[in-house]
Amino acid sequence: MKPKPGMIKATSGYERFVHWMLAISCLLLCYTGLGMMFESLNFLGVIMGGLKGLKVVHNFTAIIFTVALILAIQMWWREAGIFVFPEDWEWIKAAGGYLWKVDHVAEVGKYNPGQKMFFLTVALFGALMVVTGFFMWLQPAFLPIEALRWMYPLHVLGFVVIFAFFFIHLYLGTIGSPGSLPAMTNGWVTRAWLKKQHPKWLKEMEHEGTLVVYKGGDKKKV
Amino acid sequence: MSEMIKLYDDSKCTACRGCQLACKQWNELKAGQTEQRGTYQNPPTLQPNTYMIIHFQDYASPEGEIKWLFRKEACMHCTDAACVTVCPSGALHYNRELGTVGLDREKCIGCKECVAACPFEVPKYDSKTDKVYKCDMCESRITNKLEPACVKACPTGALKWGEKDAMLQLAAKRVEKLGGNAAIYGDQFVGGTHFMYVLKEGKDVYADIHKNPRVPLSVILWKKWLKPLSLLAAGGVVGGSLLHYILHGPKRPDPEPGDEVKKEGRK
Repeated sequence: MKPKPGMIKATSGYERFVHWMLAISCLLLCYTGLGMMFESLNFLGVIMGGLKGLKVVHNFTAIIFTVALILAIQMWWREAGIFVFPEDWEWIKAAGGYLWKVDHVAEVGKYNPGQKMFFLTVALFGALMVVTGFFMWLQPAFLPIEALRWMYPLHVLGFVVIFAFFFIHLYLGTIGSPGSLPAMTNGWVTRAWLKKQHPKWLKEMEHEGTLVVYKGGDKKKV
Repeated sequence: MSEMIKLYDDSKCTACRGCQLACKQWNELKAGQTEQRGTYQNPPTLQPNTYMIIHFQDYASPEGEIKWLFRKEACMHCTDAACVTVCPSGALHYNRELGTVGLDREKCIGCKECVAACPFEVPKYDSKTDKVYKCDMCESRITNKLEPACVKACPTGALKWGEKDAMLQLAAKRVEKLGGNAAIYGDQFVGGTHFMYVLKEGKDVYADIHKNPRVPLSVILWKKWLKPLSLLAAGGVVGGSLLHYILHGPKRPDPEPGDEVKKEGRK
C-alpha cells in the first residue's frame, strides 16, 4: 500500500525490521513447538521432513529469536518498558476506551499502557523462553536434574502467555484498530489515526518539530 | 498374554555380570573403554551403549559386618511412565500386552525430554546419533515369548521373568524367608514397575537408588495442565476478540472534516 500525502511517519525502517524478525521467528517457534507438543498436530512437521525437522528448525530459529529479542528490548525498553504516572494509570482505569464507553481517555505518550504491557510480556517471557530453551536444548551437566525438570513447564508457561497475547496483538494491530497496520508495513499512518490513538505523541512531535509528513510526488520511495 | 515383570533378587546375585554381557550381546552394543577406578563396577553409570549395570557397594551392617551389596540398575518399566508421557514422537511406548516400556529408535528425534523426566534417570542421550537409549526389556524377545537376555544369562536364579502376580508372590515369599530389613522395591510407586527388586537390606542402604521415585510434579504440571491451557487461553482470546469486534466495535479514528476536504481538494 502506498502512503498518501499528509500521512505521518510512525516507525523507522529499523523498527519494522526488528519487529518482523522477532514476529516471524516467534511464529515459526510457535508453529514448530505446537507440532511437537500436540500429537494431533504432528502433521505440521510434514513440510519439514517430520518431527525431527520440527526440532531442528525450532532449535535454530531460537537463535534468530534471541537476537531479535535483544535488539527489540534494546530499541524499545525506554519508550515501551517504563510506565509513566499518573496518565498511564488513568488510561488503565479506562481500559484505553476499548472495553466500555469512555468520554475521554487519558492522553498517553508514544506507547499506551496496553502496548507497554505487551512489550514487557514479550520481553520477560521471551527471555524466559530463551533461558529455559537453552537448558532444554543443551542439558548442561552442571544443572541439577530437579532444576532441569522445571525448565519444561516454565517453557510451556511462557508459550501459554505469549501465544494468547499474540492474538490480542494481532487483533489490535489489524481489524480491532483500523489504521494501525500500516505502522508496521510502510510506516506511514494518518493524522486522524494518530489523533485517536496517540494524541499526546502527535502533540510531542509537533512541539519538537520531529513530525515527518509524507509529501508525495517528490519522494517515490521512502 | 498378561502383565509380565522381571524380578531381581540381590541375595542370590553373585555379581558375575553375565546379565550385563548378555545385554550387550543381544542388543549389539559395543563395549566402551573402561577405567580402573578401584571398583568392579564398570562403567560407573548407565550409558547410551550400556542399558544395565551391576552396582557394587561395600556395606557395613549395624552389627559391624562388612558385606557386598549388589544391585542391577536398568529401566524400571513404570506403569505410569513419565518418559512415555513426555515423549513427543511416540518413540517411547507401552507394550500393551506385557506392560513394559519399549523404545522405537526410528521414531526418536533426540529431544531429550525423557532424559529430564525419568524419575530413575535411566534414558541416556548419544550426541553422535542424536538419539536416546535405554533398556526395552528385550522387546524383540519378550514379544516372541522368550525371556529377556539378562534373565536368560543369569546362572543363579537372581533374575526371573514371569507373570506379575506369580512374581509378586515369589518376591513376598523370598522377603519373608530373608527376614530382617528385606523388602520388595518397585511395587509401591509409579503405578508399579515391571522390573522389581527383592533387596535383602531394604532400599535405604543402597547407594544411588531412588528412594521415593514418582512422576515429577513438573511433568504433571506441564502435560496435564499447561499443555491444554495453551490452546484454551489462545482460543479464549480469539473468541474474546471476535466478541469485542461485534459487541463493542473496533477503535476507529474520528472523522476529520478538515482532512476530508483536503484529500478531496488534492484529488
